[in-house]
Amino acid sequence: MQEACLSAGGWVDAAQGVVSREAFVSDDVYRLELERIFEKGWCFLAHETEIPAPGDYVVRTLGKAPVIVIRDTDGGVKAMLNSCRHRGAKLCRSEAGNARRFVCPYHGWSYERDGRLITTTFDAHMPRGMDFSQWGLIPVARVESYCGLVFGSWDADAADLARHLGDFRWYLDCFFARTPAGMQVLAPPHRWRAKANWKVGALNFIGDSQHVFTTHVGPTTLNPLRSTRAGFTKVADRSVQIITEGGHGCTLSYLAPGLGEDVYRTHDPALTAIYATMLKPEQLNALRHLRVAVGNVFPNLSFIETQAGSGEKSLILRLWHPLSGSEMEILSWVLAEKEAPEPYKAAVLDSGFHNFGVAGVFEQDDIELWASATQAADNAIARRYPYSFHTGVPLLDHPIPDYEGPGRAFRPVLAEVIQFEFMRHWDRVMTAG
Amino acid sequence: MGKVADTEPAAAFSQTAGEIGVETCFAIQRFLFVEARLLDRREYRQWLSLLTDDVTYRVLAYVNRDAEAGPLAYAVMDEQAFRLKARVEQILDGKLTHAENPPTLTRRFVSNVLVAAGERAGEYLVTSNLLVYRTRPNMPEGALYAGERTDILRRLDGALRIARREVRLDQSVLHGSMSTLF
Repeated sequence: MQEACLSAGGWVDAAQGVVSREAFVSDDVYRLELERIFEKGWCFLAHETEIPAPGDYVVRTLGKAPVIVIRDTDGGVKAMLNSCRHRGAKLCRSEAGNARRFVCPYHGWSYERDGRLITTTFDAHMPRGMDFSQWGLIPVARVESYCGLVFGSWDADAADLARHLGDFRWYLDCFFARTPAGMQVLAPPHRWRAKANWKVGALNFIGDSQHVFTTHVGPTTLNPLRSTRAGFTKVADRSVQIITEGGHGCTLSYLAPGLGEDVYRTHDPALTAIYATMLKPEQLNALRHLRVAVGNVFPNLSFIETQAGSGEKSLILRLWHPLSGSEMEILSWVLAEKEAPEPYKAAVLDSGFHNFGVAGVFEQDDIELWASATQAADNAIARRYPYSFHTGVPLLDHPIPDYEGPGRAFRPVLAEVIQFEFMRHWDRVMTAG
Repeated sequence: MGKVADTEPAAAFSQTAGEIGVETCFAIQRFLFVEARLLDRREYRQWLSLLTDDVTYRVLAYVNRDAEAGPLAYAVMDEQAFRLKARVEQILDGKLTHAENPPTLTRRFVSNVLVAAGERAGEYLVTSNLLVYRTRPNMPEGALYAGERTDILRRLDGALRIARREVRLDQSVLHGSMSTLF
C-alpha cells in the first residue's frame, strides 16, 4: 500500500496539486475505503418518500453489505442487514416492496419490521434460557435523516448526522428543504453500472465546471436553451464554489448578465414564493438566477439542479456506490417539491431522465469518458504519473472573504479548488487510520 | 409508477393470422427487419422517417419485486419525435458525441413477431422480441439487451409508420452505456 502513495502516507500532494492515479483504480485503495469510509462514516441509504407507508422497504447496500431500509410501524425509518441470523439467507430478495414482517424463506425465522426476532419456528428445541432479544436482525448502527435524505453508519460511535453534515446543511436546505412539505422522488431510481471509480463521479458533481462544454458538446450545442450560440458558455462572475468542513461541497453557476429571467427563468415563480417562507434571504439569493447547481455530500451522494423547461428545475440525486477500485453502481433519482403541480412534476421527471438518466444525453458522454480514463489509468506504467489538479492550487488558501454562505468559497468556478479539497479531505480520512 | 401490463397484448393474438391476413403479417415483419437494418447500419435519419410525427417512444426497465406484487416497470427513456431527432443529430456527428465516437457496433435480432388489429382503423398492434448485441472500444466483451417491444404501427399513404414504441428491457440494473436506440 505504502508504495502506492505519493508522499509519506497519502495519495494527495497539496503543494504540487496532484493526486496519485492509484486512488482511482486500485482495489487495495478500495478495500481501505470500505474500512475507513463506507463501513464507518455516514452514507446515503434512501429518500424517505421512497418508503412512505409503514412496511414499505427498499433494498440498498451500505459498504458491501446488503441492507433493508424500512418504514417501521411507528413511522420511523430502520435499516438492518438483509441476512437471517440463523443461516444467513436474505430476508428480502426483492428490490422494493411492503412487508408486514420478515419470514426467512430458508428455515422460517421470523422478524418484526424493526428486526426483533419473533420466532425461530423451532423455539421448543432451543436451549433453555435462549435470549431472543440478542438474535434480532443486525441493525445498521445509526440511521438518521436530514430533509428526507436517510443516511446510515455501521459505526455506533459516529458523530450525529447533523454534525457530519455541519455547515453544508445551509446549502442542502436550499435544494431539499425550501418548501414546508419538502422534496419527493418522482419514480424509482435508475440503476446502472459504470467501469469507473466512484470518486470520478463525486468530483464531477462537486464542481467540474471545466468539462461541461467539451464532454457535453452535443447537448450544449443542440439544445437551443443551452446553446453555446446563445452565450451559455459564459457564467456570471458571481458564480461560486464552496467547500465546508467534512469535505462536502457545491458549485453554484449563475446566468451571465444579459440573459435575464425573461429569457431563461430559473425557478418557478409559484414555488419561489413558497421558498421565501422557508429560507433565509441569503439562501434565496443563492438560488436567484441560478443556472445550474451541483454538489456532493462526502463521500458519495451528489445532486444537480438544472433547467428543465421554462421555470422548471429538475433536481437529480445521485449515489456513486463503489463495487471495486474501477467499477461503481450508480443510482439516480429525480425529485420535485411535493407542493408542485402535477404537470410540473411530470415535466421535471421527463427532463431529468432525458438529460441525466441512464440514457441521458449528458450522462452517456460522461460514462464513456470516465470508463476510458479508468481503463487507461489501470496499469503499472500509468500509475507512476499522477492526475493534475493544478488549477486549484493558486486559490487554495484564498477563499473570498465576503461570501454570505458558510464554508470556504472560491471564485472563479473554473479552477479545480473544491475538487482538490474533496481529494484532500478523502486523503485525510484515508490516512487517519 | 404504475404496475406492469397496462396492456395485455398476448391475449389479443390468435394462433393464426386471422382477419389480418398472412400478407399483412409478412409485410409488418419485413418492416421491422428493414427498420432493424437501418439502425444497425446507423442510417438514423432514414429511421426517423419511419416514425409518425406524433410518435411516442418509451424504454422501460423493472424493479424486481415479490411475485405477489409483480415487477414494477419504470421509464428509462420517454421521448417524442423532436427529442429523438436531437439524439440522432448528436450521435451522427462525431464532433457532438463521445458515447458514439467511435460508433458502437450493434446487431439487432427481431423475432416472435405477432400482429393484431389496432384500436383505430389502419393501425396494428405488434409485439416482437428484441435482442441487441453491442460492443464499444471500452467494452470489447460486448453487452446484450433483451426485451419485448410493443408497437403501434399506422398505415400512412400506403406505407407503415411507427406511431408508438414501448420496449420493456428484461433488466433492473442496466449496462452503463445506453446511447443505443431500440
